[in-house]
Amino acid sequence: MVAQAIFWIASAVAILGGVGVITLRQPINAVLSLVAVMLALSVLFLLLSAQFIFAVQIIVYAGAVMVLFLFVVALLGPGRERTRGGLRLHWSLSLLVALPFFGVLWAMLSGVRFRAPQKADLATFGSVQQIGIGLFTKYLFPFELTSILLLVAAVGAIYLSRGERAGHGAGTADEDQDDRA
Amino acid sequence: MPDYGQFQSAGGTLDTRWFLLVASILFVLGAIGVLVRRNPIVILVCIELMLNAVNLTLIAFSRQLNNLEGQLFALMTMVVAASEAVVGLAVLVDIFHFRDVEDVDELNELRG
Repeated sequence: MVAQAIFWIASAVAILGGVGVITLRQPINAVLSLVAVMLALSVLFLLLSAQFIFAVQIIVYAGAVMVLFLFVVALLGPGRERTRGGLRLHWSLSLLVALPFFGVLWAMLSGVRFRAPQKADLATFGSVQQIGIGLFTKYLFPFELTSILLLVAAVGAIYLSRGERAGHGAGTADEDQDDRA
Repeated sequence: MPDYGQFQSAGGTLDTRWFLLVASILFVLGAIGVLVRRNPIVILVCIELMLNAVNLTLIAFSRQLNNLEGQLFALMTMVVAASEAVVGLAVLVDIFHFRDVEDVDELNELRG
């Protein structure tokens, strides 16, 4: 009973946060709604006995990635969205695509037949030790590849966001502004 | 035939289908956000929402099957999502150096 109550509360918070992400006009409010979604999802991960993922979700996602989003929103200013003409049609057409998609997901979900679970020691399931054994034995090569991916992402981000272009970027930007004017 | 979808948690019995339902709702919300929002930062936020929904399905199936590989896949997804967010935000900052973008439809310089 306790687990079910926790599940429904966390799910309600997650879904309300998801609605907030797509409806709130200010980008900073959308980002803060996503933080609420991530914290609620971390509670769900804990219910699924994924303790390590729970910690990573809070530290890396809600901590680091969302703080990066908040920094960028603060840096770029409050870009309130304009409500141009045609936005209402935009919403209805999007719902026309998304609702059948949800219907397909729901149809697959209601017809699903689960395989029998494997035998596992639930006392250690999802612990740091078990995750480490998986990452450093069977999945060692993908694990090393992710480090290369992170290195490439860091180098790319530094390259893209460095201040001065060597004479090239500024010129094209001015020409671009002239074209638009 | 027993219902393998249910599993015992510390405080009671839970059903994997509930988690999958929540994940599909969050995924569809993220997809709607990508379609209707115009601010590029918010579109990146909606993509993060979809990736999180997929993580929830991976971890739910991992728990249902008592197989840890789903959690390892979720970790990989988190790494890729972090990289994607970093590079996407860097591209946005670079674009915003030139001008303010309130609508992704304004970024049409590559149009022939």
